Amino acid sequence: MTDADREPEDREDATLLVAIAAGDEQAFVDLYARRQADVFRFAFAMARSKSVAQDVTQEVFLNVLENAARFDTVKGSARGWLFGCARYVVLDRLRLERRWTDALPELVVEHDGDAKLLTEQRVGRLHAALTRLPIEYREVLVFCDLQEWTYAATAAVLDCPIGTVRSRLHRGRALLAALLVEGEADAGAAPAPAEPGVLQTREVCS
Amino acid sequence: MSSIETDPHEPDLAPLRAALQAMPTPAVDEAALRRVFREHRHAQTSGARTAARTRRYWALAAAVSSVALGGVVGLALMTERHTAAPPAPIAAAAPTAVAAFQPLWYSPEVVSGAAYSVVRVRVPLSSLALLPDGAADGMIEADLLVGEDGLARGIRFNGPGALLVSKASQ
Repeated sequence: MTDADREPEDREDATLLVAIAAGDEQAFVDLYARRQADVFRFAFAMARSKSVAQDVTQEVFLNVLENAARFDTVKGSARGWLFGCARYVVLDRLRLERRWTDALPELVVEHDGDAKLLTEQRVGRLHAALTRLPIEYREVLVFCDLQEWTYAATAAVLDCPIGTVRSRLHRGRALLAALLVEGEADAGAAPAPAEPGVLQTREVCS
Repeated sequence: MSSIETDPHEPDLAPLRAALQAMPTPAVDEAALRRVFREHRHAQTSGARTAARTRRYWALAAAVSSVALGGVVGLALMTERHTAAPPAPIAAAAPTAVAAFQPLWYSPEVVSGAAYSVVRVRVPLSSLALLPDGAADGMIEADLLVGEDGLARGIRFNGPGALLVSKASQ
């Protein structure tokens, strides 16, 4: 989907943000219904944890409530504003989560029998490798390759030049490929008790 | 400009992209969202931002997860922790009866010496059995005894005077 395709949707989001700032309750419900899934999936792609994704989604929409008045259509798109907020919340949570352990998620793709199992394993390996990438490469891959954002839209959210997005994307893909090869080599050598670099299951109640 | 310019030697993220798109996301609880919105508007005028934000956070958590998780997990996400609650006035002359924790079915044993947290939750009356007709619309406050593993061990209801929270006050 190009930025032009997204323009009508974005205009509608912007209208909703303005309405929320003006105190329109229905606008908040509508924006949540429209964008909650996108924010949740973005956070899940970044963190590989459903609990983190849920927390991030909640935090993002609380920020919408508190800061919708700061949204300015001149400065950027509503989508960029919303995901810029989501990105900051995710990064904060990832820093915090280093002290924690976390749930291994289930990502199920609809297939039958062996094909389903193989797909799940492949998806699991890909996601595990993705979450081992440094944040600056991971977020570019998530925006460009998983969310299918354009370079320009990604650059706007990350507040960096398009060239930086391109170079990070290129480097990120190369790193990801190396991690996948490394993972396959490890799997062939000996059965690993747990995926390297992936935090293990445990939620902490503070 | 296309955002996807893949090299044949680079990893194909299409399966992960498809899995993410197919992934179910938490259901939206519109009533809880409206409640959060109204609390926010109210907090803007009252100035009690910090405590209110904490309460809204948990209310929004309930909105996100109540349908998806259900049951006790959903209730736990509706929690309002003791630390987040505004300080309650202490009535010196009014003695308060504190009930003992009742063990929850299928929960792990309570072990002496282990650390537990007490988490206050609001339970929909409709989820409780043996209630008189007409009482099922509100919520009831209870304390959950939660172990370090996150599993609830016991529950207690604090006293008949403060038990019921009408739906209108949510």
